[in-house]
Amino acid sequence: MNTDCLTIKNQDMKNQYKALKYRSLVLLAAFFLIASVIAVIALCVGASSISVTDSILALIEDNGMARSIVWNLRLPRVIMALLIGIGLGTSGAVFQAVLRNPLASPFTLGIGSSAGFGAVIAIVFFNGLVNEYAVVIWAFIFTLLSSFLILGVSRYKGATAETMILTGIALMFLFSSLSSFLQYLGTKEEVHGIVFWFFGSLSKAGYREIVMSGIMILAPMPFVFRFAFDFNLMTAGDESAGALGVNVSGVRMLSIALASLMTSGAICFTGVIGFIGLVAPHIARMIFGSDNLFLIPASALIGGVLVLSADTLGRTVWLPHVIPIGIVTSFIGVPFFLYLLIKKTKEYW
Amino acid sequence: MLRLLLSSKEFYPVRFFLASFLLSGLIILNVSAPGTAWAGDVTQAIVIEDAFGRKISVNMPVQGIVVLNSDVLEVLRSLRAQDLVKGVYSEIDKDGVFFQEFLDRPRVGSWKNANAELIADLNPSIVIAYENNPGTELEKQLSPFGIQVLRLNFYKLGTIAKEIRILSKIIGREQQGEIFAAWYGKKLDAIQKRFDYIKEKPLVYVESYSAFHTAGPGSGGHDMCVYAGGKNLADEFKVPYSEITSEWVISKQPDVIFKTIAWGNGFERKDRVFFNNVRNELAARPSWNLIPAVKKGRVHVLDSGIWTGPRAVIGVAHMAKCIYPQMFDGLDPEQIHKEYLEFFQKIPYQGVYISENLSGGAK
Amino acid sequence: MLQVGNLSFNYGKTCVLKDINLNVKKGEIISVLGPNGVGKTTLLKCLLGMIKPCSGFIEMDEMDILKMSSTHRARLIGYVPQAFPSKFPMTVFDAVLMGRKPYVRFVPSENDLEVVSQVLMSMNLNHLGLKDFDRISGGQKQKVLIARAIAQEPNYLVLDEPSSNLDVRHQLEVMDMLRKLAQKENIGIIMAMHSLNLASRFSDRIAMLKSGCMVCNGTPLEVMTPKIIETVYKIEANIHRINGYPYTIPLNPMPENRTNKELLN
Ligand SMILES: Nc1ncnc2c1ncn2[C@@H]1O[C@H](COP(=O)(O)OP(=O)(O)OP(=O)(O)O)[C@@H](O)[C@H]1O
Ligand SMILES: [Mg+2]
Repeated sequence: MNTDCLTIKNQDMKNQYKALKYRSLVLLAAFFLIASVIAVIALCVGASSISVTDSILALIEDNGMARSIVWNLRLPRVIMALLIGIGLGTSGAVFQAVLRNPLASPFTLGIGSSAGFGAVIAIVFFNGLVNEYAVVIWAFIFTLLSSFLILGVSRYKGATAETMILTGIALMFLFSSLSSFLQYLGTKEEVHGIVFWFFGSLSKAGYREIVMSGIMILAPMPFVFRFAFDFNLMTAGDESAGALGVNVSGVRMLSIALASLMTSGAICFTGVIGFIGLVAPHIARMIFGSDNLFLIPASALIGGVLVLSADTLGRTVWLPHVIPIGIVTSFIGVPFFLYLLIKKTKEYW
Repeated sequence: MLRLLLSSKEFYPVRFFLASFLLSGLIILNVSAPGTAWAGDVTQAIVIEDAFGRKISVNMPVQGIVVLNSDVLEVLRSLRAQDLVKGVYSEIDKDGVFFQEFLDRPRVGSWKNANAELIADLNPSIVIAYENNPGTELEKQLSPFGIQVLRLNFYKLGTIAKEIRILSKIIGREQQGEIFAAWYGKKLDAIQKRFDYIKEKPLVYVESYSAFHTAGPGSGGHDMCVYAGGKNLADEFKVPYSEITSEWVISKQPDVIFKTIAWGNGFERKDRVFFNNVRNELAARPSWNLIPAVKKGRVHVLDSGIWTGPRAVIGVAHMAKCIYPQMFDGLDPEQIHKEYLEFFQKIPYQGVYISENLSGGAK
Repeated sequence: MLQVGNLSFNYGKTCVLKDINLNVKKGEIISVLGPNGVGKTTLLKCLLGMIKPCSGFIEMDEMDILKMSSTHRARLIGYVPQAFPSKFPMTVFDAVLMGRKPYVRFVPSENDLEVVSQVLMSMNLNHLGLKDFDRISGGQKQKVLIARAIAQEPNYLVLDEPSSNLDVRHQLEVMDMLRKLAQKENIGIIMAMHSLNLASRFSDRIAMLKSGCMVCNGTPLEVMTPKIIETVYKIEANIHRINGYPYTIPLNPMPENRTNKELLN
């Protein structure tokens, strides 16, 4: 065997690997394209009578009412839906990676139910039905509280995946029962409002909400990507990741904190749509494999596509009613998910 | 036909079947309604129909009532039956000033989750609850104690007068009930008959407590809109409460917008600031400046106290006046409210219940 | 040089390691032998700074390993764990690429990929490169993990039973490769072993552990005596010398009481 032959083979291996990754990159681009197409469609359909051509024209020129509807009502909704999907998809992928658990989602860590409890407090005690920001603020306070509790317990007891999941599940039960308890104290109107909040809604999305949740969802993004390679190592186990120089408990705590922030940025403004956080990463994993460098952006995109299409369907299929986003996401997410689950050929988790 | 069946020999099995059926029916009746069947000799029982459409036989006279919501409590006060109220729902404190005289009554739990043990302790004759809350478990839990559950809603305008009569009948205040029901009908009719000549009714968007949730047919809010002479945007909806998009409201171009809020109690309000703020927020929603109602300042926010429930007629009067300011120039909803509070409720008139009217007309 | 001085370690109240002294020079292979549960893995984990000893010191090239940053340490010591992850849904290439972690800042660079493909090549793992780690055999997994440690380009390698899942041929192959690696790249290798013969054949020195203490530490010829094997493993064994290497042939386990008596002597 001469060295020439060796290097050629060598090149081959590397190139094959790179080809594999390029394929993922192309797929990512494809999903980006799909997201954009759906976004444009979403901008063109709605309850009002303006035509599709008018809607498209409204994007580029001022054609009165159509422009106002597209720019002030549909666009914020579309952006918000994408943001929420990105936030939930990314945070779900992060939770699943650092907790090494396929069932991990914002719900598993009690973030969904603590946000819910905050919203219930706001509705029952702080006029949350009228004062939307009371709901947002209280939901946010409680998501922070629950993540601090999880991180606190982890600091004390060691930041293993098991500690965190068990703490999270305990918190989930605590906050859901607290919510149920408060609903006893609520009046008819408040209980109604609480039920609607839990369904989730994008109707209140405006540019101010977009800026706020945009900061919470996009600001942690670079850090999450920064950790993506570490997440890969952590799938092989804490010990070997540690031996390779990953500060396992540090990365875990920080990414849980970041993912919690993203989750609360998504659900505080719209209600609990936690299902996306569970499903988007799984769909991404089935398509892209488990390399977090691709899995995380893919989960973000797929989350965005899912929430956006769910909202668009939800507000158009049964005009003029809006089917709550939480319900539609399950309607379209579950069958798609099951289809992939049945069709998949290899173990992906 | 039946006799034919029973007399002919061939149908003996049928006869047997029918007989046993009747017998078992009797047994079931006896078992399921011990209170009514056996007490029949001692006291007089009357049969009424409640919101469920169930025929309920109530023993007269009713000795005590446990009240699970504010609507019934208010009607009972109009019927001067305060002394019959043995227990009240726990959230009564939220309306503490309005229901001051009932604050000393024992609490039995919430409107949708009453505590059967506490109710049994008070040993009332009947419990009055909403149609769907609490669930039917309440009947199951209370029937061993001979306590009956009566389901009355008092939130549909069309049935309020009927329900007032039912309630007054079982507590033996029929005269008072008749006066109240008649007054109620008269006030509603006075508004209704003005619409006979109206061809085109203004379009109205009715928003209930949660943002972008509208009140469709089947909801109290829809009834109010119709009684006030408005054409509800959600006219054709199949569901009572439904989320809709901002876009839909704008494209429908409603002439008037009503929103109700349930926060605090209008009875305790001193000024319109709160309602006005909510109204301004509504008007400031993105692109809502394209809606005629907003352009003309015809967005109105109503307190939940006059929204559905026993005071719905006052809400309707306010709404009618907002929708047809000219036609109802002479109508003074506050006067009706005053009459109601002072004459029926026997409490002084006070409070603020609606936002300031920006489109001119009475405040 | 990797130096272990007076190292003691407790798991809670149970003392696992007592007063261990050991040096690993660069270019040298040292095997740690001893029965199950004697503390081999524990000793290796101490070397990697994964667990903190309760007394004693561990220095690498005159630096306290506990004071190093984890990245710095990972550049100097590579580790092949005893057990592999139960679920590891990545390609073999990805798995080996993880060894580049101490050098990767954000995403793996071209150079990282180059190193990985060279390591795969040198270990004859080329054909597995794009297969899923979960779908290769136990022995292949072991080789992949060794490849990962080599991709770290460390000065020292710590291997926990690197040959336990390999067939005879692959055992020889891997050991031979480690041997060459030690010499060519001047890497110090310390490994926990169960195969006495492989250890004698490929190690420069062997350290025997018994009940958490080091019984002896020397060349295979010095250590592999029936006496020492008897005290450590409680078996009767014959030692044969072939090609200058001592080969142990285990014969019978010793009855418990006799070993106890011996302990007293
Ligand atoms: N995490 C732990 N907590 C408490 N005790 C432990 C822990 N890990 C190992 N031990 C104990 O420490 C002792 C040494 O374990 P170690 O894993 O080092 O053995 P070993 O020599 O590697 O054994 P083997 O040959 O079976 O791999 C054993 O008695 C074991 O029971
Ligand atoms: Mg071991």
